[in-house]
Amino acid sequence: MSRYYYYLIFINMVANIIASVPSILYESHKEGSVSSMILGLVAGTIIVTIYTRFFNAFPGMTLPDLLEKTTAKWFYKPFVLFLAFMWFFAGLITLATYTFLLIRYVTPEMPVIQISLSIILSVIFGCLMRTERVLYTIELILLVTLPLILFIFYKTYSGNSLEWDFVKEAALYVNQLPDLNSFSASFFLFLGVVNLFMFNRFFTKKQSFNWKHVTIIAIISTLNMFTTYFIPIGYNGFENIDELVYPWISTSDSIRMEYFMIERVLFVFLLFYLGIAFVSIMIHWHVSIEFLKFVFNLEKLKIKGFKLGKFIPIPFFIGASLFTIVKLNEYQLLRLSSIFYNSLIFFFPSMILLFFFIKRSMKNAKQAKQN
Amino acid sequence: MPNKQSKTKLFILILLPIITILTGCEFKDIDKNVFVSMIGIDKSDDEDKPYKITLKLYVPTSSFKQSPKPEYAYITQNGETLTEAIRLMESYSDKELEFGHSKLIVIGEDLLAEKANEIMDFLLRRPDIQMISWVAVGRPSAEEVVKMVPQGENAAYPALFNYFDDIGTESQFIVTTYLFDLRRRLKEDGIDPVLPIIEVKKKESHFKVNKSMVLVDKKEPYELSSLYTQTFNILSMNAPIADLIIKEEGEYFNARVDSMESKYRVNVKDNNKIELEVDVSLIGYISESKNPLKTQDLAYYSKLMEKEAKEKFTEFFEEMIHIGYDPIGFGLDYKSRTLHNRRMSSEEWEEAYKNAGINMTINAELKSTGSIK
Repeated sequence: MSRYYYYLIFINMVANIIASVPSILYESHKEGSVSSMILGLVAGTIIVTIYTRFFNAFPGMTLPDLLEKTTAKWFYKPFVLFLAFMWFFAGLITLATYTFLLIRYVTPEMPVIQISLSIILSVIFGCLMRTERVLYTIELILLVTLPLILFIFYKTYSGNSLEWDFVKEAALYVNQLPDLNSFSASFFLFLGVVNLFMFNRFFTKKQSFNWKHVTIIAIISTLNMFTTYFIPIGYNGFENIDELVYPWISTSDSIRMEYFMIERVLFVFLLFYLGIAFVSIMIHWHVSIEFLKFVFNLEKLKIKGFKLGKFIPIPFFIGASLFTIVKLNEYQLLRLSSIFYNSLIFFFPSMILLFFFIKRSMKNAKQAKQN
Repeated sequence: MPNKQSKTKLFILILLPIITILTGCEFKDIDKNVFVSMIGIDKSDDEDKPYKITLKLYVPTSSFKQSPKPEYAYITQNGETLTEAIRLMESYSDKELEFGHSKLIVIGEDLLAEKANEIMDFLLRRPDIQMISWVAVGRPSAEEVVKMVPQGENAAYPALFNYFDDIGTESQFIVTTYLFDLRRRLKEDGIDPVLPIIEVKKKESHFKVNKSMVLVDKKEPYELSSLYTQTFNILSMNAPIADLIIKEEGEYFNARVDSMESKYRVNVKDNNKIELEVDVSLIGYISESKNPLKTQDLAYYSKLMEKEAKEKFTEFFEEMIHIGYDPIGFGLDYKSRTLHNRRMSSEEWEEAYKNAGINMTINAELKSTGSIK
C-alpha cells in the first residue's frame, strides 16, 4: 500500500493519545478495559481490512462518487450531508480537547476564543487545499514531529521510573467482561481508515493489499494501544489512575530529560502533539468540507469568475466550533466523545452492508456495459 | 484579470496590516515574572491559618558579573488553605509568581504527619507545578531549609538541587523522590513512599541529607536512620555506588560496591503465609582495609561480605516487617502476580506481611583489592 494510506490510519491512532480515549479506558480500568481493548483490536483490524479492500476495488473513486452511481438522489444527498456533520464533529472533539489542554498547561492567561481561533484558522487554511496537498502536509508534519514523539515514547519505556509491577497488575484485570465504552474507544483508534471515503481520490492505482499489510497495521496498533493504556499506569499507579483528567499529560510531566535543553518533557510533548492534533483536525475537516462541496455543488458557485463556493462552509465551521468550545466543560466533552465513539461502533460496521450493495450494483453496471 | 505583478502587490498590501496584529505574545513578559525556586510548606502557630508557605525567589540580575553571589528573596505567609497563602503572597510582589520552574518542595516535619494528603492535592491539582520536582522533609522546619544559603553555593542554582539531581553528589544516603513517585506510592496499596530528610546545620552553614522517612497513610511516619537509608538505597537500586564496612572473623575492610542488582518476590504458602524472597547481587572492590590483603583470597573476602550484607539487610527487613511498612513494594509485587479476585484482602495482606518469613540470597563478588594488596 502507498505510505499515505498508513499516515491516515496512524494519525488517528496517535492523535487520540491526548484526546479522550485513555480517559474513557481508565473509567473502567477495573471493569474490563483490557479485555475490551483486545476485542477492539480484533474488531478494528477486521474493519480496516474490509474498508481497505472495498476502496481498493475502486481506485480513485470517493464514496460520494460511488453513491451517486449506484443509489438514488433522495438517499445519497442526506446521507453524505450526515457524514459531513460526523466528520466535522470528529474534528471538533480533537479541537476542543486540545484547546482545553493549551489553556490549562501552556497559556492560562489567554482567552479560550483566541486559542481556539488561532488553531481553527490555521486548520481552515489547511483543509481548503486539494486532497493530495493535504496528504503532503501530513507527511511534512509527520517528518518533523514523529521522530521526537517516538523519542519521547522511547524515554518513557527506558525510564527507571516506569514501574512494571503496576502494568502487570493492570493487565491481570483481563478476566473481566468487556465494557461498551472502552470497546468503542479502542475501536475508534482504528477508524482512521474511514477517511478513505474522500482520500481514496488520491489512490488512483489499484494497490496490493494482503495479509502482510494487515499484519503491519495490527502490530502498529497493538503497540500503540499498549502504550496508550499501560504507560500512564506504569508512571502513575493503577488504583487511582482514573482520577487523572489528562493521564498522558501527567505522564509526560513525570519524565525528566536531565541533559536536554528543556528538562520538563511536558512542553516538548505538548508542542509536538500540537502538530499531530493540527493534522488530525485538518484531515477530518477536509473530508467534511469535501462532502459539503459534493452535497451542495459548491464548486459551481462562482461570482465573477471567483470560486466562492468552498469558502461558504467556513463561517459555519468557525461559529459552531467556537460556540461549542465556549459552552462545554471538560466532563461534558468527555461524555460527548464517549457517546460519539459509541455511536460509531454501530454506524461503521453497518456501512459494510451498503458496501455490498454498491459492489453488486457496480458489477452489474459493468456487465451491462460490456454487453 | 489582474496580472501577476498586481497580484503580488495586492498580497503585500493585505499582508502589511496583518503584521500589525502581531504585537506580541499573550504571555507575560519575562521581566514581569518572578521565578520561584523552592516551595516550603510548614505548619504555622496560628490555628485558623494552619499552613505557612515560604517561597524562595530568584532575584533577577542583568548579568552574572554584576552579582556573582547567589541572591534570593523570600516571602512567607500563613493561610487557611495553601492557595489562600499564595494569593496573599502575590500582593507582596510586584511581579507575577511563576511556579513552573520550582524544582524542590520541602514539607515541614510537623505538617507531614497530619496533612500529607491535603498538600498533595494542592501540588497535583496545579498544572504549573512540575511532577518531576523533588519532595523532601525539612528539619527543623521547611522555612529554615528554604531560607538557608549554604557555603559555596553557585549563583542561580541552589546547592540543594545538586543533592537530588544525580549530576552533583551521588551519595548513597540520599533518597530522591519525585512528586509523581510520591503520589503513586501514597495512593497505591502495597508500596509506601520514602522521603529524604534535609537537616540544617546552621553553624557550619551546610545541609545534611542522610536520613529518610517512610510515610504511610494514617500512620506515624517512620524515620529511617542513615544506615537504613543506605540499605534502602542499595535494595531499591537507587544508589549508583555504595560502601559496606565488613568486620568479620578478624578482617576489617571496606568494600565499595559499584554494581548492584536486587530482585524481590513474594512466595505465597498455604493459609495466607508469605515468604519474602530477596535476591541481591553486589559487585565491587576493596577500598580500605585495616589488615594487608591477599589477592588470592578474594573469594574468601567475598564470602565475608555476603555474610555481613546478609546480616545488615535482614535487620532492615525485619524492622520493616515488624512495623508493617513496605517501602520496597512487596505488596505491589504480590498484586502484580495474583489475579484480583483471588487476592487476599488488604487486612489479610497486612497480617501476612507482619508474619512474613525472609529468604535472602546474596551474591557478592569482590573483583579487586584496589591498587595495593
